[in-house]
Amino acid sequence: MTFALFLAACGSNNSAGGGQDNPAETAGSANTSSSGGDSAAGDKLTIAVVPKLVGIPYFNASEAGAVKAGEELGVNVIYTGPTQADAAQQVKVIEDLISKQVDAIAVAPNDAAALTPVLKKAKDAGILVMDWDTHADRSVVELSVNQIDNQMFGEHIIDRLVEHMGDSGEYAIVTGGLSASNLNTWIDFGQSYAKEKYPNLKLVTERIPSDEKQQVAYQKTLEILKAYPDLKGIAAYSTVAPLGAAQAVQEKGLQNTVAVVGTALPTDSGPFLEDGSLDVAVLWDPAKLGYLTVYLAKELLEGRAVTDGMDVPNVGKITVASDGITVVMGPPSDFTKDNYKDFDF
Amino acid sequence: MRFSLYEKVLLAVFLGLFGLFALTAPNFLSETNLKSMMVQMPELGLISLGMMVVILTSGIDLSITYISSLSGIAVAWGLVQGWPVPLAIAAGACTALLCGLFNGFFIARIGVSPIVLTLGSMLLFEGLALRVTKGGSISGFPESYYVIGGSSVGPIPLPMLFFIAAAIVTSVLLNRTVWGRSAYMLGSNPTAALYSGIPVRRVLIYVYLFSALMALIAAVIMTSRYNSGKVDYGSSYLLLSVAAVVLGGTSVRGGSGTVKGTVIGVCIFQILSSALNLYGLSPHIVNVMMGGILIVVLVANYLSEHIKHALHDIGRVLTGKASASS
Repeated sequence: MTFALFLAACGSNNSAGGGQDNPAETAGSANTSSSGGDSAAGDKLTIAVVPKLVGIPYFNASEAGAVKAGEELGVNVIYTGPTQADAAQQVKVIEDLISKQVDAIAVAPNDAAALTPVLKKAKDAGILVMDWDTHADRSVVELSVNQIDNQMFGEHIIDRLVEHMGDSGEYAIVTGGLSASNLNTWIDFGQSYAKEKYPNLKLVTERIPSDEKQQVAYQKTLEILKAYPDLKGIAAYSTVAPLGAAQAVQEKGLQNTVAVVGTALPTDSGPFLEDGSLDVAVLWDPAKLGYLTVYLAKELLEGRAVTDGMDVPNVGKITVASDGITVVMGPPSDFTKDNYKDFDF
Repeated sequence: MRFSLYEKVLLAVFLGLFGLFALTAPNFLSETNLKSMMVQMPELGLISLGMMVVILTSGIDLSITYISSLSGIAVAWGLVQGWPVPLAIAAGACTALLCGLFNGFFIARIGVSPIVLTLGSMLLFEGLALRVTKGGSISGFPESYYVIGGSSVGPIPLPMLFFIAAAIVTSVLLNRTVWGRSAYMLGSNPTAALYSGIPVRRVLIYVYLFSALMALIAAVIMTSRYNSGKVDYGSSYLLLSVAAVVLGGTSVRGGSGTVKGTVIGVCIFQILSSALNLYGLSPHIVNVMMGGILIVVLVANYLSEHIKHALHDIGRVLTGKASASS
């Protein structure tokens, strides 16, 4: 089965690839394309998936999904990104991918505006440009792969928070970084929803940044707990902020008085879910997101359309918005004490 | 141009790596890659030049990348208000020079240690930048501004020309002016510098102003290239610039170091990062390689100096003379 897919991928790419190459490069690569096994590997589609940064659990999980898709679908997957969440570094990575002449680049931008020029350059070089996880500039992407609907997700987190702290009282928000646009979007949707639906909730202070670091989130939470002794809940955004917040609550023994709800990975959350210092983690499966990104890139490269309600193997049915480029993977998943062991990311 | 022994070794390392990558890294010599390397290098290069001049005086400027982002934000803010490009850049220049003056004043006049003061000003500038932008980016520039980061003169990208010009100017300032020579002297022996009548405070203030100026030029290139101004642009260059300067042969104790060395150091980091990306290696490996090369070159340099001294001492003992002709 995999072998058949592999052959199909090679076959369709032979013609597409030949058309894109400029004459000089085709002449240059002609030497190698005559030998058997090598040329087959060389003719496979190459799809580059660029995360915001490499080496954190969330993006490691999506890497696993992207790589799995590469193996199953018979395409080369390059998963590479900056080692710090710096847009300048991310631009460099993309420039190098353009030099490498990949077929598609799917990027999770650290900063959408910063990537627009380099993504235009990629597009001009004949590369398929997509975004995943976080939006890039709409005018430069052919497809935008979203894990969830942002509004639904922002409201869902507030609902879960209320479920654990009650619909009145003081709460605080700890976020990964003040400049992360997806985190800000969820918080904003959540805030306007909370104001309307739960008027007795009181946000004690502005959202508190934690530099995408567990240690920082932990320290800031200790400070909040000290400054606001009546605090009843904390909503933490970014995959490490909830862990830091829960760690602080755990250390102070406040599991039963302060509810913590956040966007964390189930395996990392395990120890905190066990004793109730983290009440619920809300997220999606990043491995599926990585898989879906590679799958859809391959569909587009091979000239097939991405349609609403399409059934993607290993992922399920996806929705495509009326603009034709916004894809949503599905509803968010809740990870609790009872189910976190069922997930391996 | 004359090269010291260390610089010759460094140049050989650069040429060796370049040859190796040209032969083995796919598309390394392609026009796209050569161009993108020349576009990428100037940002780190300019910040490294600013950092080098500070390190020469046995200081360090930990706030340099945030001076860069704060002045970039000032430029971006000006542009979004509809100011003409030169005026917006002037606003950025004022911001950068104020930051440099702030550092220089406290270090030179009050005598706060550079590492502590610039650590403080780093947080201060970052905080200001966050306050102004609320963490988001400022974008929506006129088309004419993209010319700075996006155009080329012949085959050479404009940012690269800025970098070359800045390197030449820095070299001339350091070697041919009283200020430059004083900076070296200040780094090798501050007490002697003071007693020989060098206006130590003024020299130091100009050193921090100079590093802020380099940060500004880097900021102009970055805002143009990234189409926006934001707090964390270039933040990854901070420690990388210290590493490039040290790899370039500048002594962290101050007093010695050259622009040539720093430029070669920056070039080595650039071809390493591009080539390793072309190989498709994990970005963590890129950091490991950069760290590894830095340590190997520095240890080799340290050992070779010690062996030279040891041989010299043995020679003196054998000939039984106090000061052999060396």
